[in-house]
Amino acid sequence: MGLEQYEDDVNICCRCSCCKFIPMQQIVGREYTYICPSISRYHYHSYSGGGRLNILAAGLKNGFNYTDRLLDIVYNCQLCGACGASCNYAMDMEVQQPLEEFRIKCVEEGQTNPALQKVIKGLRKTGSMVETQGKRGAWASGLKLKDATKEKVDVLYHVGCLTSYDKNMQKLAKATAKILKKAGVKFGIAGDAETCCGGRAYQMGYRNDFLKQAKKNMALIKKAGVKTVVTSCADGYHAFKVLYDQHDLKGNVEVLHISEYIDRLIKQGKLNLKKDLGLSVTYHDPCRLGRMGEPWIHWEGQKIPGGQHIFDPPKEYRRGTKGTYEPPREVIRSIPGVNLTEMTRIKEYAWCCGAGGGVIDSNPEFAQWTAKERIDEAMSTGAEAIVTACPWCEKTFNEAIRGSGSSMKVFDIVELVAKAI
Amino acid sequence: MALSKEVYREFEDVVGPEYICDDPTIMPSYHGVEHAAVIFPENTAQVQALVKLCNKHKLRIAAISTAWTGMFPPGLIYLDMRRMNRIIEINEKNMYAVVEPYVISGQLQAELFKRGLHMNMKGAGSNCTALLRGHGHLDQSTGGDDRNHLAVEWITPEGEIVRTGAMGSTDEWFCGDGPGPSMRAIISSAVPPGVTPGIFTKTAVKLYNWPGPSKWPIQGISPKYTLAELPSNMMARYYSFPSVEKMWEAEIKLGENEICLELMGFNPAMVAANITTCNEDDAKMFQKLNAESKGPGFFVIIAGNSSADFAYRKKVLEQIVRDADGESMKSLEDPEIEGILLCQCTRISASIRETFRPGGAFNSIPIMSQRDLTIRWAVGAGEAKLPLIEKGYIVDDGGAFFGWGVEQGHLGKTEIFCKFNPREEEAAAAVTKWQQEQSKRAFDESYFASLFGPISPEVSKKMSGFNVWWQKIVEAVDPNKVAPQGGPLV
Amino acid sequence: MIDKKKLEQIVGPRNVVYKQKALEEYSKDMSFVNQVRPACMVRPKQANEVQKIIRLANKTQTPLIPVSSGPPHFRGDTVPSAGGAVIVDLSRMNKVVFVDRPRRNAMIEPGVTFGDLIPKAKKEGIRLNMPLLPRKTKSVIGSVLEREPVLMPGYQWDISDPLACAGLYFGNGDEFRTGQAAGPGTIKQQWKVGGVQKAPYGPGTASLHRFIQGAQGSVGIVTWMSIRCELLPSLEEPFLVGSSDLDKLLDLTSWLVRLRMVTECFILNDTNVASIFARNVGDYRKIKDSLPPYVLYYTLPGYDYFPEERISANVTDISKINQRLGLSAEKAMGIVSAIDVIKAIQQPCEDPYWKIRHKGASEDIFFLTIHDKIDDQIGAMKDIANKAGYPASDLGIYIQSTVQGTSYHCEFNLFYDPESQVEANRVKGLSTTAFKTLMNKGAFFSRPYGNNIGAIMNRDSATLDVVNKLKNIFDPNHVMNPGKIF
Repeated sequence: MGLEQYEDDVNICCRCSCCKFIPMQQIVGREYTYICPSISRYHYHSYSGGGRLNILAAGLKNGFNYTDRLLDIVYNCQLCGACGASCNYAMDMEVQQPLEEFRIKCVEEGQTNPALQKVIKGLRKTGSMVETQGKRGAWASGLKLKDATKEKVDVLYHVGCLTSYDKNMQKLAKATAKILKKAGVKFGIAGDAETCCGGRAYQMGYRNDFLKQAKKNMALIKKAGVKTVVTSCADGYHAFKVLYDQHDLKGNVEVLHISEYIDRLIKQGKLNLKKDLGLSVTYHDPCRLGRMGEPWIHWEGQKIPGGQHIFDPPKEYRRGTKGTYEPPREVIRSIPGVNLTEMTRIKEYAWCCGAGGGVIDSNPEFAQWTAKERIDEAMSTGAEAIVTACPWCEKTFNEAIRGSGSSMKVFDIVELVAKAI
Repeated sequence: MALSKEVYREFEDVVGPEYICDDPTIMPSYHGVEHAAVIFPENTAQVQALVKLCNKHKLRIAAISTAWTGMFPPGLIYLDMRRMNRIIEINEKNMYAVVEPYVISGQLQAELFKRGLHMNMKGAGSNCTALLRGHGHLDQSTGGDDRNHLAVEWITPEGEIVRTGAMGSTDEWFCGDGPGPSMRAIISSAVPPGVTPGIFTKTAVKLYNWPGPSKWPIQGISPKYTLAELPSNMMARYYSFPSVEKMWEAEIKLGENEICLELMGFNPAMVAANITTCNEDDAKMFQKLNAESKGPGFFVIIAGNSSADFAYRKKVLEQIVRDADGESMKSLEDPEIEGILLCQCTRISASIRETFRPGGAFNSIPIMSQRDLTIRWAVGAGEAKLPLIEKGYIVDDGGAFFGWGVEQGHLGKTEIFCKFNPREEEAAAAVTKWQQEQSKRAFDESYFASLFGPISPEVSKKMSGFNVWWQKIVEAVDPNKVAPQGGPLV
Repeated sequence: MIDKKKLEQIVGPRNVVYKQKALEEYSKDMSFVNQVRPACMVRPKQANEVQKIIRLANKTQTPLIPVSSGPPHFRGDTVPSAGGAVIVDLSRMNKVVFVDRPRRNAMIEPGVTFGDLIPKAKKEGIRLNMPLLPRKTKSVIGSVLEREPVLMPGYQWDISDPLACAGLYFGNGDEFRTGQAAGPGTIKQQWKVGGVQKAPYGPGTASLHRFIQGAQGSVGIVTWMSIRCELLPSLEEPFLVGSSDLDKLLDLTSWLVRLRMVTECFILNDTNVASIFARNVGDYRKIKDSLPPYVLYYTLPGYDYFPEERISANVTDISKINQRLGLSAEKAMGIVSAIDVIKAIQQPCEDPYWKIRHKGASEDIFFLTIHDKIDDQIGAMKDIANKAGYPASDLGIYIQSTVQGTSYHCEFNLFYDPESQVEANRVKGLSTTAFKTLMNKGAFFSRPYGNNIGAIMNRDSATLDVVNKLKNIFDPNHVMNPGKIF
């Protein structure tokens, strides 16, 4: 069905502009009220959720003319889900899905972005979304972790491309391993055999590549008898938990973000955080852990005839309500000496870090601009550090800070937990 | 209508290449109209320069803020005012705020709450500009229509900067009238087809006391936000009455006794839409509330300056409702629902649930005038909706209308709408027919004139020829005809 | 020049006046504008007569000066600026068309004075938002058209209040009705379904009542107006607060208005309180000596339901504000009681009119301003007065919160003896100097009169340019009161 299945949704947009702002009730001042990085940076309504839907509606009616501007609009979007979350406060309509479907359509029709095309080429060759240097599992050298390709494991820690290969991010994998070990979790990794979750490829519009990656991963999971997949990357979390389910590939495996798992381990008494870190922090909700991390809802049905936009069976929309918001906060609050101050834009209406949707590759300047906005907001809380739960966020934040000369520190949640053990 | 390269360059020179675009790709998101170019000015000087260029090249120009809706002929130089989004001043002592066009009501209101102040909130929602005239839920205590503007900065269609009232003479925003006759006679914006030609770049709006918290203690995740606690000096209730007459009796007494922060004549369908988070629940909730309702009703928020003041207001409210045989709707007394309504109906954050969510579109007949008069008309207009409901053309709201007293009941707003699926042609046609018939009845029976769309000579004649005068005014201030008919509503 | 016979055909011979003595009265007023004698005076009774007069004036390029209030006039706006003018005296159009309690509205003709309307409104249970002690001859419509400040700022939602709707003839003779009254249908047809010409805005985008206000009869002639009225309280309690610190009184005023506790609310200085309440010179001194420099007056109202409880809650709440400001609300200030004030201000002024009672004349300098600037402006005015040899202590000061607290009307009353050329010249010179100084200190002369109109209007040439364009539409031949604003 593709984009066509969303014809009603794209037409129902009433152009209210709510997709540009955080939900109206959450506005507490003039500052930090915009929610969509794309229109905030590029201004034209076409770069908002609603504006994109308007273009899709016209295209579905009259056909698409793939101008440079159209592709600029399509690819300068983190697909962070913020527009949909704001829209769905009041409206019953799909926003994120048609946007994703249109990217897929663009790719299928050869309307690709060269930078993204290059990344996908790399993926097809190396199974990674980032440049590879050395072996994927090299970070675990000497840690004596279980190899899930060789033995059965209940818990699989899926490390992710960036954390595996980026030398600055491998600390997150090590910290995660340290935490899991400390809690006595019998977990394994796929090491060099681990392959990309495919989530980012899906965001970029490469559905087939995503499916290939998903199938590979699920085959490994099945073979290793994995009951729980743990990711420390929000993209991976979203892919395993939501996208795999959406495409009927997930089966019964439980998917947890490391923050959820740590929260569980602390509550079970298996992990004890003792060391006082003496740090004031603010927490950034990664989009794909937060609002987009809510479970996929399988629904098939039809609109009931008549004036009212209702369905049989009733249709439940994914509005960001059931995203993963509290576990990371619970974990942060559990760390002695860490004082959490919230930013204005949080949870389902958090501002994106800028990396998503392939923007970090297709338009690094825009990714940096977006991250810089977030760092400014974090600074406004008076916190010393911004804590996130995804390596992509950490990467873009660090680069934005380097560019701006800000003194803000950036931590992944696992770094703080590992320090506090 | 494409601009020549040379002309495009002239506009580009004003704002820079990043802030002008004539690519047809973007036009579907600008009302599906082929504009000559979409341009983002950053300040008044740029707006002035752009308007002057339009005069030079005989191009038409219009500006929008969030541009929910409006009327736009093709070939426009279309100014999207997104970059002019500053709150220039909040003057607490003198109770006014000065804003640029892209400050939305939600932003200004949030800043005002911190200072114990608030403003007229357009019923369309806090997602709309704070600058334009309009009507809303709080009109009982904040007034509405064109009566909240003070000084205005206006770029005339010829490109002159006019700063009305005190601003033009003393650089202060506190008054928009004079010296001598007031320019506010024509500078009032937003009632198509006769929108004031030219562009508003800054406006001072009156402010009012806000007795509520500096920010609402919101908890929960979208789409269900509730309040962590209810303020002790505020109360929200919905009352229904055995008849329209009784409802009116209570409404006017509440106005006369000056006790309401808000008096919003919601009907049960609108309340149901507000407190539910999806259409399916909305439909069920409407049936429940409708069954509970005695008849027509309204929603009230009272707020006291002190505990004694609050107690007094509550006592008066309850007595007036009792005297008019009204009853509070018990389901809505649930503190969680009361909290939802308190917040949503002061922040005006859920209008879309009432209007667009149910069917995807709505068609409306709004009247800003003498409330008791328009209510009498609205009863008939509501009855005329019933066959459409029966046929499934429109969403069932019991044939209700809504509205409220403005300025403590001195003036009023009445509105009635049909919510429908615009892609169902038969339904859309039936709604249009209903709208035309009911507007005609209002006109023929001398209740009011609905002035949307072209004005016929017959209407003009019976309306003091107002459009003829307006046309003369437009011709005088816009000799080069750069201002199009129509423009942004919200 | 209009043919006498033609005028007589319109209004009848008895209502066309050429008597020199009568015309003399219209050739000057209490202001310092130049004297110009009108050619004649006509006294229409019906609206259609007004239309005919305007049409005739257009044919003959005859200036028309509409006058609705009786003498004495103070502002120079009814004195012709050009020769050959016809005074259109509207005092015979003095019907109170209706008073409507449920809709808090009254429709009147231009000749209706406050004294005429107040009892009729009261009988129905409503009242007017009054200016401060208008003279007995003052037309209600005249006051509203002049945008005179009103005593109840909380009920002044818009500076155009209490104007609801107006019926008028523009300068070209065309009929127009503003606001809700515009249509559909005739006024009678509207009445038939219950329409009472209440909503001021529209029709459409324009709200043309705003353009006829402040125009000094230079746009057209109003033949009726509906006036927004307020409910008569069932209980009222008046208070006085005195202080030498004006800023504190302004603070209190802004809270009283902001919290909507009060109806009448204004500040007078000791000179003006004495001028209003003294019947003779002895009284004047006694009253003035008994008062602090500034006195804030306010009324707490209670309406139909539990009025005592409303007032009681507000008294308590105000006392907290006063405590914070170091002020105290009293029932009397010196030898003036709050009851005296409330009784006085809800009626037109007893004769002789307070502004001319003690010295014979008053030159009024008034403007709109904001809280932060008043002190400086008053200081400047006092300096100028003293320098000109006019004792600052004799200066009357009236400060009125306007439009729900968004601005203040600040008025200086320079009382003088018009028979004394020395005094008159001093005040005239002083007035000119003060006007310039005050304008430079941010005073906004929103209602320009007399010899300063040009300087005020020209200060904002961009607005003036548009105002002129509109004037040319409504009065293309400039027959309406030429030489004043336009």
